[in-house]
Amino acid sequence: MTWLWPALLLLVPLAGAVAIMFAPARQAKWIALLATTITFVHSVIVAVAFEHWHDGGFDLEAVVPSLGMESMGIAVRFGADSVSLLLVLLTTLLVPLCVWGSFSAISRRVKEYYGWLLVIEAAMVGVFLARDVIFFYVCFEFTLIPMYFLIAIWGSSNRSRACIKFFLFTFTGSLIALAGLLYVAWQYAEINAVFEPGGGSHLSWTFDIATLTSFAAGTLSASEQRWVLVALMAGFAVKVPLFPLHTWLPLAHTEAPAAGSVLLAGVLLKLGTYGLYRFVLPMVPVAVVEYAPVIAVISIIGILYAALICWVQDDLKRLVAYSSVSHLGFCVLGLVALNPLGAQGAVLYMINHGLSTGALFFLIGMIYERYHSRDMAELGGLAARMPVWGFFMVFFTLASVGLPGLNGFVSEMLCLIGTFTASATAEVYPGRLGPWYAAAAGVGMIFAAMYLLMMVGKVVFGPLKEPVVREPAQGRALPPDLCWREIGVLIPLAVLCLYLGFQPKPVTDAAAGSIETMLSAYPQEVRRYVARESADG
Amino acid sequence: MTLATLAMLAPRLAHEFPVADAAGPEWAAWILWLPALSTVLCGMCAALRVRNKLPAWITVSLLSGSFILTAMLFAGYEQPVTIHLVDWFGITWSDTTFVANFAFYVDRLTLLWMLFVTGLGTLIALYAGEYMEGDVGAGYSRFFAGISVFLFAMTALVMADNLLMLYLGWEGVGFASYWLIGYYYRKPSAVAAAKKAFIVNRIGDLGLALAVYLTWHAFGTVQYAELFAAVQANDFSAEAGGWSVQAIPFLLMLAAFGKSAQLPLYVWLPDAMEGPTPVSALIHAATMVTAGVFLLCRMFPLMVLNELALPVVAWVGGLTALFAASIAMAQHDIKRIFAYSTISQLGYMFLGVGLFTTAGAAYHVFTHAFFKAVLFLTAGAVMHGFAGQIDLRKVSGLRHMPGWRVTSYTMLYACMCLAGVPLVTNGFWSKDAIMAEAFAAVGPGYTALAIIALVTALLTAYYTFRVWFRVCAGPVHYEPGLEQHGDAAGGAFHPRPPRLVINLVLLTISAGAVASIFCAEWINGMIEGSTAAGGLPAVHEAHEGAGVWSDPHAWMPYVAGAVGLVGIAIAWYLHLANRTAADDLKRALQGNVVSAWLPRAMENKWYVDELYHGLIRAPLWLLGHILNLLDRYVLDMVIVDGVARIPRMLGRGFQPLANGVLQSYAVSMVGGVALIAILVFVMPEFLEMLNGWIGGAR
Repeated sequence: MTWLWPALLLLVPLAGAVAIMFAPARQAKWIALLATTITFVHSVIVAVAFEHWHDGGFDLEAVVPSLGMESMGIAVRFGADSVSLLLVLLTTLLVPLCVWGSFSAISRRVKEYYGWLLVIEAAMVGVFLARDVIFFYVCFEFTLIPMYFLIAIWGSSNRSRACIKFFLFTFTGSLIALAGLLYVAWQYAEINAVFEPGGGSHLSWTFDIATLTSFAAGTLSASEQRWVLVALMAGFAVKVPLFPLHTWLPLAHTEAPAAGSVLLAGVLLKLGTYGLYRFVLPMVPVAVVEYAPVIAVISIIGILYAALICWVQDDLKRLVAYSSVSHLGFCVLGLVALNPLGAQGAVLYMINHGLSTGALFFLIGMIYERYHSRDMAELGGLAARMPVWGFFMVFFTLASVGLPGLNGFVSEMLCLIGTFTASATAEVYPGRLGPWYAAAAGVGMIFAAMYLLMMVGKVVFGPLKEPVVREPAQGRALPPDLCWREIGVLIPLAVLCLYLGFQPKPVTDAAAGSIETMLSAYPQEVRRYVARESADG
Repeated sequence: MTLATLAMLAPRLAHEFPVADAAGPEWAAWILWLPALSTVLCGMCAALRVRNKLPAWITVSLLSGSFILTAMLFAGYEQPVTIHLVDWFGITWSDTTFVANFAFYVDRLTLLWMLFVTGLGTLIALYAGEYMEGDVGAGYSRFFAGISVFLFAMTALVMADNLLMLYLGWEGVGFASYWLIGYYYRKPSAVAAAKKAFIVNRIGDLGLALAVYLTWHAFGTVQYAELFAAVQANDFSAEAGGWSVQAIPFLLMLAAFGKSAQLPLYVWLPDAMEGPTPVSALIHAATMVTAGVFLLCRMFPLMVLNELALPVVAWVGGLTALFAASIAMAQHDIKRIFAYSTISQLGYMFLGVGLFTTAGAAYHVFTHAFFKAVLFLTAGAVMHGFAGQIDLRKVSGLRHMPGWRVTSYTMLYACMCLAGVPLVTNGFWSKDAIMAEAFAAVGPGYTALAIIALVTALLTAYYTFRVWFRVCAGPVHYEPGLEQHGDAAGGAFHPRPPRLVINLVLLTISAGAVASIFCAEWINGMIEGSTAAGGLPAVHEAHEGAGVWSDPHAWMPYVAGAVGLVGIAIAWYLHLANRTAADDLKRALQGNVVSAWLPRAMENKWYVDELYHGLIRAPLWLLGHILNLLDRYVLDMVIVDGVARIPRMLGRGFQPLANGVLQSYAVSMVGGVALIAILVFVMPEFLEMLNGWIGGAR
């Protein structure tokens, strides 16, 4: 029964969802809060008991027995290293806050709403805990369904187009990624086919991520790796999202309810970067070395392109949505720098972006609940009306800008310094990027200040401008400034932003082992590639 | 620069300045923590809506504690030390570690800066306690929290023992400046100015960030002690001998020019005057804007790694000095005149750094901090008393009004300092140190640069005394500004002369300005024992030569003094003795076709803001809109939706199959089965083919 311990991280939210089905509507939110809080506490206990914080090893490894798929090599296999666990913690922290933050915003079809929130939590945790390709994929795809309904039912005016585009876009991408993973599994099965005495043979399938990863990295030819890379990138780049596959994101974000946007930005986008971290980089090192500059250039284009688009937005949510495209460009850049500094930056970036952008979506949701508007032409100078809200808005904006002392700076700096030093001549960890890549991406720092300060300059500061308030959808009106519940949602995020800004060391220490394992093949691959290049040239 | 010239510079680099290798006292950490504590307490005051002057007293007492600790550190100083506070960055892999902690690097340069930063910070906070009293219960706590954040960040910047903590302070002071410029957050111009300051500074910050990366790349450390040891030992990697090390000085320069408002990044500073006047005095005159000079002094051992770097610094400084002075001559807003004069004086400081006289630059930083603080604080007193009036044409004869004596005469003394009145003013001596060096030093076009500096001194004396003769002398008349409070709403307007605290602060800082006349030798000593000492040998080499006229250091005081007095005399004639003459002169200039553009261009700040707007901001804005439309309509609606439509179009080809006739369903079913059968049989072959196609050689 060791499998039950990690499995409870999924089962408790699912049980909560079932309980909500049978409970009266007015209790739904309390059940959801209880289930998600239990999950959070459970994940903290798991984290405290975790033994491999420093060596990059896996723990919580367990297989759910006798599900009848063993013959095909498929298993519900759990396992987590420090990076997975950090992302699990981010998820289990954000979901209860989403539940709590939705108390007043959702008044329609309450039971379904909280049910879907719990289901999506289980799916997201499943992605980070999966050690089996099929299990991973099922969870990965299953996040789409609750999100589809969250947007389709509780979204704003243009929701049907948004949810269909969101679903089709990401679904298509991940199908291609699945094809890539299946190809690897199939090659493994063929090569390790067992020959029977009678002359026949049968393929020996496995979908264990660790086995397939080491197999792919060691055995697949350069050309095969290239194809697998393209297939995997098709899935994960849509999720991140990388330019030019990002167009579903602004639409989905603007139409989703606040909690949906928080989870979308906070966790679902990280599935893409986590996919890069867990699959792409370890599986196909030869191809990654070859294509690192291409991926980097795409990321940099995304950083600058999305930043300029942010600058001319009128819709708050669209602005922050595009800022995610811009920000996650830094994260991918850190990953393809192929050195520990960049990868540390990328891992931190996943967490930090979840905290600060998640909080920004909460804050915009709070405005939307009060004014039913996200239009910066209608809203202005709200600090005069809502000083507490204004404080938090400025705080999280600065975290997003990358002000030193707050969390965003640490990850952005590490990503850029990793990119900067990733030149072919670097001693320990050579890479294929270099100073010019970092300098180009660094211009994104200036643009980030431009569009984010433009946003607070309009919405928080300046002369007070409020739209004519239509009757709030729910019977009871909210106070003009934030209530204690809303402040309570924001405070944990603010504390973490400040803490990680001044003390990133616990996270970087934890991620170090996992990162070195992941990058172990790269110095040699890069040197080999560079040597071949210079021999050819 | 070739390796040969690097070798030539090597003796200069090897000029020994001691590098910290011992640990300092741990209590010094409180120099940083006290302002942080003050921020937290002021924040709590804001949250609890405290309606008295408590935040001011918290700030003043904690900042004075910080000053006293700095003074104690100075008193007990023996050698450069590092002081570890808490861990920050520490990333280890293989046998490398990326370390950057919260730690202090204390040498004489640190102490020099910290003494005037914390000292003036305390005094100006005291002044602000009275100045901001109209906002008690409203923005008062927010204001003092901002001042405390600024002191925290400035302390981090100056005392840092590594480049990342310096960067934290660097962006931190930029943020504090954003916070305080935008203090009147309902005023759109203040919000815009705050935003502009932050963004222009960010351009410089990018330079600093890249310099940090490059330093890590070339030296494998960002900690000063290791870095300077490596520079002294000429111990950097082979790659570093190439372009990378030599790019560092230019990136540092970009950062310094942003923070210290030099060409081409000076445009934010005049707008920063939207902030409350104590903020202008503290941040935008005395302390923060000198951070650029500090950066170059701290990193001086790296600045000399490229022989082109320092001449560029000198030229940018010299040109900025002249350029800003020319604008200051034609402005009417007292605070803006002083802002341009700050830019101009900062230009002198960079000129000094560029000419290897870091001691002269530091001396000018020190003297300027005092007299410019007094100038801003007196301007603030005028604003405070005349309901925000800041136009020099609308207040006159201040010294004849009751209660304004201290303000008028401290302003007079500060103006004399800025104008460089001989012997009795500190500005005379510190500016002299730089200008003499400009004539003495040998470098590309340095004679022209020296003449520029001299001309700028003339303009400076003129525009400074234009203010004083207009505002403090002459017949008494005044118009109130727009910020009339309730008391003056009904009846006639009465100016409110400053009370005890403001006068006391003005007198104290003026006394500091007098005292700093005698500090030249002390500051020389402070610089000599620090990282900025790399410049001193060059200074001494330049002293060779004999006779009065061959040594500029000997005749410079007379020339500079005379130039200053001439400038004052011109100002006296145009703005006190014969005020209509100034208008006549302007009219004459405007009447003449050839010269008409000159006063207009000067008044409009040479149209630099407009130029930037047209060349950078507007194209970017347009590009943003184009990309936005492209993203929404081309990328999303044409390409993405178009791809999504392909399956449907394919589907339309098969649509006749679904025609509701039973037989055709049967036919298509058979066809489907056949298709599946074919696939089942053909699939293995197909997969083999696919495999061969994808596979390549293993």
